[in-house]
Amino acid sequence: MAASRRALHTVLYLLLLVILAWGLVPILYMMLSSVKTQVNMFSMPPKLIFQPTFDVYGEMFAGRGDFAEFLTNSVIVALVTTALSLLLGVMGGFALARGNFKREKDISFWIISTRMAPIPAVILPLYLIFSKLGLIGTTTGLVFAYTTFNLPFALWMMSTFFKDVPIDLEEAAMIDGCSKFRAFWRVAVPTAAPGIVATGVLCLMFAWNDYSFASIFTGNGTQTVPIAVSLLVSQSGIKWGQAMATGTVIIMPMVLCGFLVRKYMVRGLSMGAVK
Amino acid sequence: MKRSWTAGILAMILTSMLVLGACSSKESSESSSPSASASESATNPSAPSSAAASSDSDPFGGWVEGLPKIEAPAGFDWKQFAGTTLNVITENTPPSSGLAANIETFEKATGIKVNIEQVNLDVVIEKAGLDFNARNDNYHIIYADPYQILAKQAKHFLDLNTLNNDPSLPHIPGGLEDFIQSQLTADGYMGNKDKLYALPYDNPTMVLAYRKDVFEKYKDQFMKEKGYDWTPGPDMTWDQYYEVAAWINQKVKEGVITEVKYGTGHQAKQHDSLMNDFSNVLASFGGQYFQAQNIGDIGTENPGKSLLNSPEAIAAAEFYNKLLKEAAPGSTSWDWSGLAEAFAAGEIAMAPEWHEFSGTFENPESSKVVGKVGWTILPKGPKGRANMYGGTGVGINKYVPEKDQKAAWLFLIWATSPQTQYKILDVGFTPTRYSVYEMPLLKKAMSDPTSEEAKKLPLASSLTAAQEAWKEGNVYMRPKIPMWPQIDTIVYTELSKMLAGRQSPADTMKEIAKQSDKLTRN
Amino acid sequence: MLLPSMIVLAAVSLFPFFFMIYASFMDYALDMDKPRFAGFDNWKGVLTADTFWESWGRTAVYAGGGLIAQLALGIAVALLLYHIPKFRNLFSTLLMLPLFVAPIVTGLLWRFLLDPTYGLYNWFLQKLGMNVQILGDTAYAMPAVILMDVWEWTPLITIIVLAGLQTVPEEPLEAAEVDGANGWQKVRYILLPMVRRMIVVALLVRSMDILRYVDTITIATEGGPADATKIIGYYLMQVAFRFQDIGGAAALGLTMLIVSTLLGRFFIKVMRSEEA
Repeated sequence: MAASRRALHTVLYLLLLVILAWGLVPILYMMLSSVKTQVNMFSMPPKLIFQPTFDVYGEMFAGRGDFAEFLTNSVIVALVTTALSLLLGVMGGFALARGNFKREKDISFWIISTRMAPIPAVILPLYLIFSKLGLIGTTTGLVFAYTTFNLPFALWMMSTFFKDVPIDLEEAAMIDGCSKFRAFWRVAVPTAAPGIVATGVLCLMFAWNDYSFASIFTGNGTQTVPIAVSLLVSQSGIKWGQAMATGTVIIMPMVLCGFLVRKYMVRGLSMGAVK
Repeated sequence: MKRSWTAGILAMILTSMLVLGACSSKESSESSSPSASASESATNPSAPSSAAASSDSDPFGGWVEGLPKIEAPAGFDWKQFAGTTLNVITENTPPSSGLAANIETFEKATGIKVNIEQVNLDVVIEKAGLDFNARNDNYHIIYADPYQILAKQAKHFLDLNTLNNDPSLPHIPGGLEDFIQSQLTADGYMGNKDKLYALPYDNPTMVLAYRKDVFEKYKDQFMKEKGYDWTPGPDMTWDQYYEVAAWINQKVKEGVITEVKYGTGHQAKQHDSLMNDFSNVLASFGGQYFQAQNIGDIGTENPGKSLLNSPEAIAAAEFYNKLLKEAAPGSTSWDWSGLAEAFAAGEIAMAPEWHEFSGTFENPESSKVVGKVGWTILPKGPKGRANMYGGTGVGINKYVPEKDQKAAWLFLIWATSPQTQYKILDVGFTPTRYSVYEMPLLKKAMSDPTSEEAKKLPLASSLTAAQEAWKEGNVYMRPKIPMWPQIDTIVYTELSKMLAGRQSPADTMKEIAKQSDKLTRN
Repeated sequence: MLLPSMIVLAAVSLFPFFFMIYASFMDYALDMDKPRFAGFDNWKGVLTADTFWESWGRTAVYAGGGLIAQLALGIAVALLLYHIPKFRNLFSTLLMLPLFVAPIVTGLLWRFLLDPTYGLYNWFLQKLGMNVQILGDTAYAMPAVILMDVWEWTPLITIIVLAGLQTVPEEPLEAAEVDGANGWQKVRYILLPMVRRMIVVALLVRSMDILRYVDTITIATEGGPADATKIIGYYLMQVAFRFQDIGGAAALGLTMLIVSTLLGRFFIKVMRSEEA
């Protein structure tokens, strides 16, 4: 029995290694390519031993377009968007979970359906609003656009999480003399914290990685990193070295973030969906 | 307890990101300055003479003997628009990066602040379209692709003649005559020559890149077998091109030729590039897209009926289809950059390619074929020759306030002036002015690709071919009509189906004709 | 507390929605500033175009194939992770990585890997005797872009399902063991039914996004070759931005919205029936 179990586990680990290779080879190859010269990068069979060069990383931060500026914009936009979506989402989600709405199901469906609109079709009307408000080419405009895209998701996730927080806890707190808001803030929010983290990471990811909105709503000086990536594909060819390096830089913060909160994400996601 | 955990993590993420951002910005400020100054001093051929030549009317410097001067009316105050900010939107092409690198010259001389936003052509089209439709003035100066922007949006551009004829403002140095005339017509006008909307800015053109080493080494063998000199040049026909490509493929298979893998490569992805590649063949076979006259130069609102049903067009499609069967198999997944990469990797002996890629081929960082690439005009067909022109102009948004229009005019004058064009040659820029080509530096570099002068010009090896390609009878300009983006898409989509074996060449041409006529309501 | 969110959402979703309906009945072709009433012309144009129906057909293949593949793989990987005794966290963390790659980078990266000249995967295929041009061949391009989506998004399904699995109580599993159930039967009759709701959540999120996200296709194939990867989202991008046909794009966008909404309704209904 134990032997067969061990054999089974070996098979499982082998399978996982195959899956891991499928998932990670592209990323590792990207990182490896980012420190190759283009001639080395284009050599087949792939060169695994070569003189690494960090030139492209230097160029990225020195050349035109100033990559640091892209990065700063991305960081600001992603963080502010996430904070805003979470703030509104946590409050709204709680209200949705606790309030007595007659048509709660319809409202929550309407909320999630606002996220279904195809991006190219909403860009024009949003552009019109933004240009009236003078938000074109500003970070604020982009934050606004992302928040509206993240908010339905945040609301929806948070309302599911809050439904799983037993209402008795809050009631007990209120009996102890807490106001309704304090009960929410002191009891419900901490209990749902893993869910908030999970939601936050997903919001952060969207804002960090989006290209479609950013390409239209940003301007000189407010462009984000995905725009920097798209600029490497130009009429005069693709700058593969820089593309690989930018790709590497752009996933780093997300990976870091993911590593740190993975546990919370798993717990948060399981809270929402399992009774 | 749990809460503080989470907060701690969030704080960590926050700090780590901020630190990352902070590190990077520091790095940038340190590393950007030396490289910028290095490139300026190393690659500015005119730097020494500029000080001596600067005159009162030209505050920019950099003028070189032999070039038309930037001149202003007596007493013109170049700084009168100081404090204005100009937003420029342009595709990320060589002149854009060249101007961006030298923008200080303009800003210092005029006190005008310039933001040059460099993006992909698709994004320029989207943003310019949105800006115009909302009658906004987010962008003052717009990269006016004649086919995808100008043809559709001409009425939103300012008529530059009014500024050029304004006695209180500086005029185009050297006058409009100094621009390569066919390019001025294509880039500057729409429908008629009453209004001038844009000034020629860049001018990539399709010519033939070939491997000199391969063509020299096997010349005798080909001569013996086929009986003619196979070196690509003005006398080559498309039929010979096909024969040569097939012969190379055969010899590669036999193991005789080892320097390359394929005879010819093409930019035949389902993409704008496929339309360009095909148009060269189409026009040289006598085929045309539409009935209307002058559709390629001045352009027209109504193209008339599609002519792709004609026997010439069908013959061209049949030939192109046959040619692509001999092409490197990657061709159907390559646009111009994929093709250039394959060529630079040494896989291909011949390819119709944009002349601006010669910089890539001569750069040892990106190419294995440095010094081995020859350039000439494309082969001729039964009815002539066609080298696709892909240039663009720059124009001014009509909806910006009058004061800003004048500031934008100063920018246009400077950006398209001979001295600026001369100065930014080092970024792989191709001048759009006759006078610049008359300079000894260019003449020497173009006649002797191994000279010191040529090393300063990344595009030296292909400029001669490009100039030849612009001559009347050699150059091909696609239809300039408002609905070109749709027509272009129909053309390359249906051609892609043809290359995939989904439909015959004749059916392909008929299908394009049918869809085009439906779209243009003819 | 819901009010601020609702106001923001209403402002940015209702206006675009009504604008789309309005624009779909207007003709912007001649003068985009002063559209003329066009009746059902845009709708007729959209609905009678072969490309429209073909694109929806390909969308069905793309979305259907992609969702089924990532769901199957995602559940399988989650079950694998659930069953291994050690390194579960390490593996699941590493497996999550593709999820963090920006879609535009995914497209570029895979184009790099599949390039006929210098692509790593292309080189492997050639060594295996398969001399094909993945992104330039009508037969392979669609599977390739599906795989790109699967590569990027399988981890999301994995973590969601794994999250569910980790909360499955021990008792039924132990009871099943006593009854002599084998491993597969436990998975089939206990584990999977208990995480069904998670699976539906994952499906709902992914089905909305797979229709909308076209960044990857835009950069990898631009809809080609021979339209093989032109899904409805990409077609909409072309109509809206390349052709700047606002009326047509609005009509097209509305059809997408309708389909997404119906799909969403369907999954939510399934989810609610699970709850009941």
